[in-house]
Amino acid sequence: MSYIQFQNIHKSFGSNEVLKDITLSVERGQLVTLLGPSGCGKSTLLRCLAGLEEVTSGKIFLDGENITNKSPKERKIGMVFQQYSLFPNLSVYENIAFGLKMKKVPKEEIEQRVKEMVEMVDLGGKEREYPGQLSGGQQQRVALARSIATEPRVLLLDEPLSAIDAKLRKELQKRIREINKTLGITTVFVTHDQDEAMILSDIIHLFHDGRIEQSGKPTELYTAPKTKFAASFIGSYNILSGADFGKIIGQERNAKKSFAIRPETFAVSLSPLSHNENSYQFEATVDSHILHGNVLRYTLCANEVAFHVDVLFRSFQLFENGQKLYLTIEKKNCLEVSTL
Amino acid sequence: MKQKKSSAVIIIVICIYLLVPLLLTFLYSVFQQWNDILPSGFTTQYYQQLFTDTRFLTALARTVLISILPILVCTVIVLLAMYVVVVYLPGLDKIMQILCMIPYAIQGVILAVSILSLYADAPEPFSDRLFMLTAAYCVMILPYMYQSVKNNLSAVNAPCLLETAQILGAGKLHAFFRIIVPNILPGIVISMMLSVSMVFGDFVIVNTIGGSYFETAQMYLYKTLFTSGQLSSALIVVLFLTTLLISAGVFSLKNRNKSSER
Repeated sequence: MSYIQFQNIHKSFGSNEVLKDITLSVERGQLVTLLGPSGCGKSTLLRCLAGLEEVTSGKIFLDGENITNKSPKERKIGMVFQQYSLFPNLSVYENIAFGLKMKKVPKEEIEQRVKEMVEMVDLGGKEREYPGQLSGGQQQRVALARSIATEPRVLLLDEPLSAIDAKLRKELQKRIREINKTLGITTVFVTHDQDEAMILSDIIHLFHDGRIEQSGKPTELYTAPKTKFAASFIGSYNILSGADFGKIIGQERNAKKSFAIRPETFAVSLSPLSHNENSYQFEATVDSHILHGNVLRYTLCANEVAFHVDVLFRSFQLFENGQKLYLTIEKKNCLEVSTL
Repeated sequence: MKQKKSSAVIIIVICIYLLVPLLLTFLYSVFQQWNDILPSGFTTQYYQQLFTDTRFLTALARTVLISILPILVCTVIVLLAMYVVVVYLPGLDKIMQILCMIPYAIQGVILAVSILSLYADAPEPFSDRLFMLTAAYCVMILPYMYQSVKNNLSAVNAPCLLETAQILGAGKLHAFFRIIVPNILPGIVISMMLSVSMVFGDFVIVNTIGGSYFETAQMYLYKTLFTSGQLSSALIVVLFLTTLLISAGVFSLKNRNKSSER
């Protein structure tokens, strides 16, 4: 049996069914991400695991134990919230020590443990300060230290980095991954940011409308989305109807089907390339372009169908608007996806 | 710098405006005559008279009691009710809000007459004047206490802090009184001070319910006004200092928590 198991979880708020028959498992020591847009049910599932919401039906097992009806206190789970939730009237030290005091850990042990945690999150010298005196990133590190100080069986992170600026977010992502690896603590991370999910996760469960749309390793989800939603949510796929895809490559395609093509999989050339039976070749004209850091995203047009192509920004040479280009795309990179 | 100076001037003017009547009242209470520009005949006889009068001391003690007791009772009731609403029954908040707003619409005299006609012939302790006054003042200050506690609970995001404390192993009651209450204490203290001044300044309710059975400092002052100007001035100074002491006492609650503030 897996370390965490959700079995046929249903959760409704009144007539609104938020979780629809969720079954998933998490292995010990893994960092698993529940990814999806707002309102898809990912945070609700996390709250059900924490014991902050009761499931309408279904069972939750943790390390073989049925915890479905247990209180949050009995579950021995650590959780970090988006809004930090530090106790404003307690110092950094007291915040981190709070859970240990509740467990009636001896004072000397608490001191030692808090010291370790403060060092782990690099907050040495801030022990006597209060949450209001810390920056957002520091507050979230305190929240992280507080949640792991009690050595929980699982660490739950509910969009903990959403309110933090980009630079600090990267630093904290690294810290979370380090903690997961160093302590071997099973971690369930909730986010709506696909880049964050890709960076952090061992496994991603993509949520859509209360259901799991697709599960897998980050590379699997990125390279092989199974549905139109997965393709549109992960990466910047060109989602084309069968008819449009047929127009681009100059071949007939079933109009009812959909195709997903990653913009970076196109090969671009100023002159025709040699024919290859494993790829499609066609012409397109440049419509516009946008600079995304080290990547130039062109909007091209082929037979009146617009699509994006990413080119690494290696030189100052830009393709001009209206310029004719020769494109090649390998057949294996044109993914047929379910329209559901 | 210029702005600082102008702010200081404004504050000084306001202080003078507020303190001059009090200062003059005090001066009037420590001199026998004030027929010319300056008063003459320094004396402390009016203060001696007040503090040797057991009727006054009893009235003052009653005033202090009914200024503190209803506020403590109301604070405990509102906190416990809000604990139940926040932790167990959030849906009751709207009903609680409506109930707590009703006293706004009730005139003091209506409240006092209603309580008196309903409980005057009731068995003890309901017919006891102290009990009736405490209950009446609890009702009167309820909206202020409730609104303050509610606003402060919203400001600290109480449900989220409670959930965090529970996950860390705290019981709901412990989490509420150990984490939530200390964080909303400054707000509670402000509404307690407001309530103290309201209750202390009330005459309608205390006069209607207390009457001759339960003489308070306010009623004592009212009677003194017809006998001696100096004596009533001395009494006003004593009442002012008493209010100041009560306010300082309530404020010390906030300061006790100050070390843990930002």
